[in-house]
Order: sequence, then C-alpha cells, then structure tokens
Amino acid sequence: MVGGLAVCSGLIDLIGTGSDSMTLLVSGSGMGLLGALLFRRVAGPVNVRPADIIAATTLAVTLGILLVSGLYLVTGAAQQPDDALFEATTGITTTAMSVLDPTGLGHGLRFIRAGSQWLGGFTALLVGIVILPFFGFGREFADRSRSGGYRPLAPDEVSATRNIARLYVPGTGLIWAAYMLAGKSPFDSLLLAMSTVSTGGFTNSPDEFADPSVQWVAIAGMLLAGSSMVTLWHVIVGGRGLQHQTGLALYLGLHVAGVLLLVLWSTGVDIAAVRRLLFVVAASVSTTGFPMDVPGEWATAAPVLLLLLVSVGAMSGSPSGGLQVRQHRILMKVALREMARQLHPRAVLKVRLAGRVAGEDTLRQIVILQFLFVAVIFSTAFLVAVFGLDLADSLSAAVHATATAGPVRGINGAMLDPADWPRTARLALLPAMVFGRLSIYPAVVAVAALLKLLRDRTRLRRRYLARRHGADL
Amino acid sequence: MRRPAARWETTTGQVTGIALLFVAGGMFGTAVIEALGGKQGTAMVLAALVTLIPGAVLWLWTRPGQIDRATVFSAVAGTWLIVSLFGALPYLFAGTFQRTGTGFPVVFADALFESVSGFSCTGSTVFGSHNLIGDQGPGILMYRQFTQWIGGMGIVVLVVTVLPALRASGLGLIGAEAPGEGGDRLAPRMAQTARRFWYLYAGLTALIAVALMAVGLSLFDAVAHAFTTASTGGFSTRDTSIGYWDSVAVEMVIMIGLILGAANFTLHSRSLASRKPVHHRDSEFRAYIWLLTGATLVVTILLVDDDMGLARALRSAAFNVVTLGTSGGFGNATGPGSDGDFVRWAAGPQLILLILLMSGGCTGSTSGGVKVMRLIVGLSHARRTLRGVRHPRAVLPVRHGTGVMAEPLVERIAGFMVVYGMLVGLGTLVVAALGTDLVTALGGVIGSLGNMGPALNRAGPTASFVDGFSTPARMVLAFLMLVGRLELFPMLLMLVAPYRTLQKRIRSH
Repeated sequence: MVGGLAVCSGLIDLIGTGSDSMTLLVSGSGMGLLGALLFRRVAGPVNVRPADIIAATTLAVTLGILLVSGLYLVTGAAQQPDDALFEATTGITTTAMSVLDPTGLGHGLRFIRAGSQWLGGFTALLVGIVILPFFGFGREFADRSRSGGYRPLAPDEVSATRNIARLYVPGTGLIWAAYMLAGKSPFDSLLLAMSTVSTGGFTNSPDEFADPSVQWVAIAGMLLAGSSMVTLWHVIVGGRGLQHQTGLALYLGLHVAGVLLLVLWSTGVDIAAVRRLLFVVAASVSTTGFPMDVPGEWATAAPVLLLLLVSVGAMSGSPSGGLQVRQHRILMKVALREMARQLHPRAVLKVRLAGRVAGEDTLRQIVILQFLFVAVIFSTAFLVAVFGLDLADSLSAAVHATATAGPVRGINGAMLDPADWPRTARLALLPAMVFGRLSIYPAVVAVAALLKLLRDRTRLRRRYLARRHGADL
Repeated sequence: MRRPAARWETTTGQVTGIALLFVAGGMFGTAVIEALGGKQGTAMVLAALVTLIPGAVLWLWTRPGQIDRATVFSAVAGTWLIVSLFGALPYLFAGTFQRTGTGFPVVFADALFESVSGFSCTGSTVFGSHNLIGDQGPGILMYRQFTQWIGGMGIVVLVVTVLPALRASGLGLIGAEAPGEGGDRLAPRMAQTARRFWYLYAGLTALIAVALMAVGLSLFDAVAHAFTTASTGGFSTRDTSIGYWDSVAVEMVIMIGLILGAANFTLHSRSLASRKPVHHRDSEFRAYIWLLTGATLVVTILLVDDDMGLARALRSAAFNVVTLGTSGGFGNATGPGSDGDFVRWAAGPQLILLILLMSGGCTGSTSGGVKVMRLIVGLSHARRTLRGVRHPRAVLPVRHGTGVMAEPLVERIAGFMVVYGMLVGLGTLVVAALGTDLVTALGGVIGSLGNMGPALNRAGPTASFVDGFSTPARMVLAFLMLVGRLELFPMLLMLVAPYRTLQKRIRSH
C-alpha cells in the first residue's frame, strides 16, 4: 500500500515541478515488487491465533512508518532520519505534529503526507471495526446481526473491510468536492479531504482555514469523520433513523457543551467567534487537530477542557483517537455500577449499552484500556519532560500524542511547533502515537509477543550453550 | 449524667455526637496551651463550648440502631462533614483568617478549608506570606496539629472504641472510613480492634516525639510534628515547615516516621505481637519501599543532571519523595527557590512527584492516595487481561503476594480506579474553570484527592493555597479532600440514606 502511495505521489508530482517524481516512482515500484514477492512467496500459518493478527497489525503499521520515513529521506524532504521518522509516524498515526514546512514541499511529497494519513485513518477503522471486535475485545458490539433482514456493516472480516472502504472512499470524495465548492484548488482540496476524513490534521499552509466557508466545510467534515461508521452504515444502508443513536447524541452533545463552555469563558463573542470555537472543539473531539487561533481572551480552563475533549475523542468505529465515546459510556456505567455495588454488595448488576449486555471480559478490558491510556500518557509526559519540555507542555504533548490529536496547543492557547522541541523529546512521543493509533491493546500485545520471542530465544541460546559446554566437558 | 429513657434511634447522630465530644476535648486542651502562651484562649474555650453542647445533646438524646450500608455511608460522611464544620470554629472565633478587606464568606471558607485540610490529613494550608503561621498563638498551632492527629487514624475509628453497642455495624463503619479495602480485625470485637489501632497510633506518635526531641526540637515542636508525622498530615508550626530547622537529622526522623505512618498498622501490630519485624514479608510494604527508593534514585539523578550537587540532590529528592509518597506533605525548602522547593525543579522530577501524589501509601495506614495495594492489583489485573488477549481460554487469576485475589475485590478495585480517574478529570476541569491554570489545577486536585498537601506550580511547598486557587476553587478542593479521605464512596453516596428515608416518609403520608 505504501508502494502504491509512493507511485501515485510520483505521478502527482508531475503536475508540479516533478523533481521528486522519478525517486518516488522507483521507490514505490521497488516497495510494490517486494510486497508482491513476499505475498506470493510467504505462506500464512495454518492456525492463526487472534493474538497473531493483533501483533501483525502493529508490525504492519510499524513497517508502514519505516517505509514512509524512507521516502522522506530518499527524496531529501527530511535531512535527518529522526525528522523523517517523526514525520512518517505523525502521518500514519494521523497525529499531524509536523516538523516539515509544507510550503517548501513539492506536490508529490505533500500527497505522501496526506496519503499516509489517509492510509492511517483506514487502518484505524480496520482496527476499531474489524480487528479488535473479531480478534480482541468488544465482540458484542460488532455490527454483525442480520435480524430483520438488515445488512450489517461487519458480518465477517472481509465484508467489513469492503464495507468500510465503501464508506471511506466516497466520504473522501464528498469532502473533496465540498472543499472545492468552498473555493479551494482541486489539489489542495484533495489533500485537505484526505486529512479531514482520516482525522489526520495535516495542512498545506498556515492560512489554510482563513475563509469562513472553508471553516464550515472543515467543521462538517470533522463531524462526519468523527462519527461511527456503524452509525453511518445504519443510516445510509440500513435505513435506520438517527433517533436511537445514543452514542451520536453524546458525540454531538460534547460539541455543544464544549462550545457553550468556551463561549461562557470568553469575552466579546460574536457569530464568527462561535464558528471558530466550534472549529476548535470539532478539531479536538474528532482528534483531527486542524490549527485555529482561539478568538478573544484565552481562559485558564480552556486548555483543560480541550485536553479532556481530546482524550475523550469521537465515536467508536471512527478513525479518531482518544478513548472514544463508547468506552467512556461504558466506564461511566462501570462507575455507577460500582457505586450501586457499594450499597448492594451481592447484587448481580449487568452493564447494558445500546440494548446489549456488555460481557465482563469486555468491561475488564475497557477498564484496563483506561488504565493503560493514562499510563502511556504519564510515561510519555515523563520522558518528554526529562528531555526538556516544561510540565504543562509535556502533559499536553503526551495527551495529544496518545490521542493522535495533532498540533499541541500551549497553556496560553498558542499552537506549539514541534520543530522547536529537542529531537529526543520528539522521538519520545513516537511510541505514544503508535500506541494511541492502535487503540493501545494491539501495540501492547505486539510488545509482549516481541519480549516473549526475545526471552525464548535467550533461553534457547542459553540451553544450547549449556549443552555445548556439557559436551565439551 | 443520666441519659433520657426515650432516645432517638440514629447511628449518624450518635457517632457524630461522640465525635464532636472528642473534638471539643481537643479544643479545650489546646485552649489551655493558648491561654498559657497566646491571646486567643477565651475564643478557643468558646469554640470548645459551642462544639461540646451539640455533641452532648446528640450523645445523650440518640442511640445507635441497626444500619444498612447506605446509612453507614451517610453516618461516616455526615460525621466528617459536621466535625469539619465545628472544627473551623476556633479559627473563626480567634479571627485567625481575618484580614482587612476580606468579607465573612472568605474568612469562613478559609477556616473551613484549614479545618477540612486538617481532619482529612491533607496538609494544604491557606496560611502564607499574607498571614504567617509564626504570628499565631501556640494553642491555635497545636489545635491545627491535633486536627490532623485525630483525623489520621480516623474519627469514626475513635468513636467505635467507646461505642461497643454498634456490634457488627462497627466493622462497616470502620471499613467505610479505613484507607484501603475494608478494615482488618486485630481482635474479635470491633471496639477492641479500634482501641488497638489507637494504642499503636499513640505509641508511634510518642516514639516520633521523643526522637524529634532527641534531634533538637523543643517539646512543643516535637509533639506538634509527631502528631502530623504519625498521621502523615503535614501541618507544621513553622512557615517553612521542616525547612525551618535545615537539619538532616530532623528530616531523617520525619521520613522514618512518615514511612511508619504510611505502612499498614496491622503489620506494626503483628510485629509487636511476635516481637520481631514482619514488614518485609508483606508484598505491599516491599513494593512501597521499592517505589520510594526507585523514585528517590530517579529524582536524584535528574536533579544532579540539573546541576545540583549529589548530596543536596539526594537530600532534597529523598525528603520530597518520602513526604509526597507517604501523603505527608511536609516541605524541607528553606525558602522560595531553595533546593527543596520542588516547583522550581525541572519538569521531569516534578512529574514523578505528581505520580507519587496519586500512589499514596499502604492500605490500613494513615496515608491517602490510591494506595500501593490497589496499584499492584491494578497492574496484575492489566497483566492478566493482556495475557487473556493472547490466551483467550486460559483461566488467569490476579495474584497479590503469594495469594490469589478474589474476583469481586479485583472488580471493586478496578471500579475504584475508574471513579478516581473520573474525579481527577472532572475536578481539574471545575478547578480550572474557577480560575486556575492547568498544572496547578491538576496538582491541586490530585493532591486533594490523595490528601497529600502541597500541589504543583502556584501551590508548591513554599506557597499558600490562597495564591494558587480562588475561594470557590478551594471549596471544591476541600470537598475532594473529604472524598479522598473517605476513599470516594461514602461522600459520593452520603445522600442515599436520607433520600430513601425522605421517600419512605412521603409514601407513608
């Protein structure tokens, strides 16, 4: 896929100066050939365990990051390997903390940036709708039921992947057209659409969203991108109404509450300011992270609110990051159940969501997910702080990286430029981005599998050496 | 005194009444000290009388009844609230927080904050450069220390020592107040258990006081600091806290005292019974010591890296790690910008301190925070869950030490963590909305929920909470202190029992 992206970028680069097109075409073809060779030559194992699939997903994302960073290096877009790695990671994980100046890049490289986010967004959807429910946790919430003649989004793994593509690709096209209608050039519109639908957040120039009509399109695009694919499928294909979509209501409610609080804390707010605040809130909730200056005076509580919104994230089944709305609903119900249990210790209390009873395993895994999410944030913040950022910026950067939410906003409301940070601090953010993009579990399972492999290898080597030593004696 | 024959059956009233009598006793005692060396003796006697009368009325006119869990929660939470309210009276009557240009609501809020911070053993203070601790009389200062001492082991535990009629309800009451997952029995009867806890506690306090006198503190300072060390409270009689003495020996005594105070008191009891220490056999205590040691080493390395000399770095790191890791909250900064002023440190060590603000000490101790046992079980639970992803059909227990944890307890701990996380998030937003910056708000909320004392940024070890938080924000923090001291649920569920009673009455009418 990365090879295909590189080939497409090489061709698109011909629209501009074409200086990178040959490099991109050759690299892309090479990657494609290598991928095809591996696909043909390497046979899959007979018995595939769910953990293998989860670990393989992490491996694929890591490989994608390495390949994209290779493209940045060979084209000379990034001079240092760590810059290339950071840009690639922030692209594939849809985080968008860019260290490259997009205005100095050719068409091909700008397409790679947006394309890597688009691929990352698709991967996030696969993880959230196919891989985790089928091979990890939350099976009861997978949209599989055919009762009443309804066509589910995810009846099986292959159909689910196909159905996601059926929504994702037209969605990109729709937003592309909307940006063009708002006055953007076709190429810029395409790049913005790819960044919007994937909740990526890369932009092409500092004044990308100066035009109010572009702001409205971006707001609508971010709202759409943050919506659950299952909900969209229900409405578009299943013909179901929106009235029973509690998750959607909560997701939209987060926007309303966020805007209301920001309006309450701001002074001299007019309609234009409300639009800009809605933009900021939508960029935070959907974890897209498109930059926008906040109008008026920056309230002390505003960064706290935005950090909370970023960590809550958008709906489950969307490419957004954060813990996501469904997980929060479940956590809220677990908290209420715990309170009820304090009063009635022997009561058997089930947690229901959307008419389905959540299994105890699922509840346990979601609680642990919150635990791991906080652990990743604090350990990342610690590393970033050790490498030179102040406490507020460290916490903010760690939350944004783990929630894959794009440029970090400082405590005074200004957008921070990661290029100004120490290289080591930037590198410390990379694991959090990968963990966050993969909804934590797959990355942890992959790391555990890797550690087990290393341990087994060490043991085997030790045994071998001990046997050899015994034989020598 | 003869008690009336017909008495109102309310456990909350009975427990609150006795608790108020204890507090009034403490007020009388400290009023004597104030009368000997200060100017506010009369005010303190008046406060003691105002506390004594409702306490005596409640004690005489009520009797404990059979109680369900909802009533246990409302009894415990109600007692803490009422005691905190009456506990503010000496400050109010003595005009401790009276400043020019400050209205009664702010003065009352400050007095209540100091009272709640005292009883909940948090150690956050509204004294500061605008209102020096050193300007207060000895009685007021000793009263502050006393509030932490009485709150350290628990007001309700104290009440149970003299209330054998509670029988089985006593365990529920102690369990609702005790740090950790329920109360341990040291004796067949709950009153005996409560008494043993208090004897141990008093013994530890005496030991610390003697040790502090041996390293050069006056009798007054030694007793005052022993009160707040054994209770892991953190109030001091000096504006610069322990930094006033600038002595390694004093800091060592305080650190050892805090570690003992934050260890499980059941371990102390077993050690005394077997005449040899058994602490090292307890996995929670071992993990706790490892946590403190590891944090000290990392903070020392980071401080040395930040151009602080090794000896100074080790001293500052060890003291601040122990004092925050045990929820003590003392400071060894000799002034703003000195070595011990951790808000001037680099961000890395501050973040470790922030994590320690959450962790707290051991279960069954006087410390606050999440508690090490819950963290161990949480980690074990996470490990089990992740292994479960790789081995979906495996039956994997959660282990703590050599034992297997019961699933309901694991779920309870997981539920506690969820509620704790939500309170931190929501509390930070509310406190920030009341005019506090992100780091100060987060540090303040985590510190208040964990009963730690100083926070970060504008509410550090040499600052006053008046500088860092607005009056409404301080009230939110005071509420969170009580929520944290009672391990979340009693305060959150305290209105359930009154609501049910009200509902019943409406139905019967």
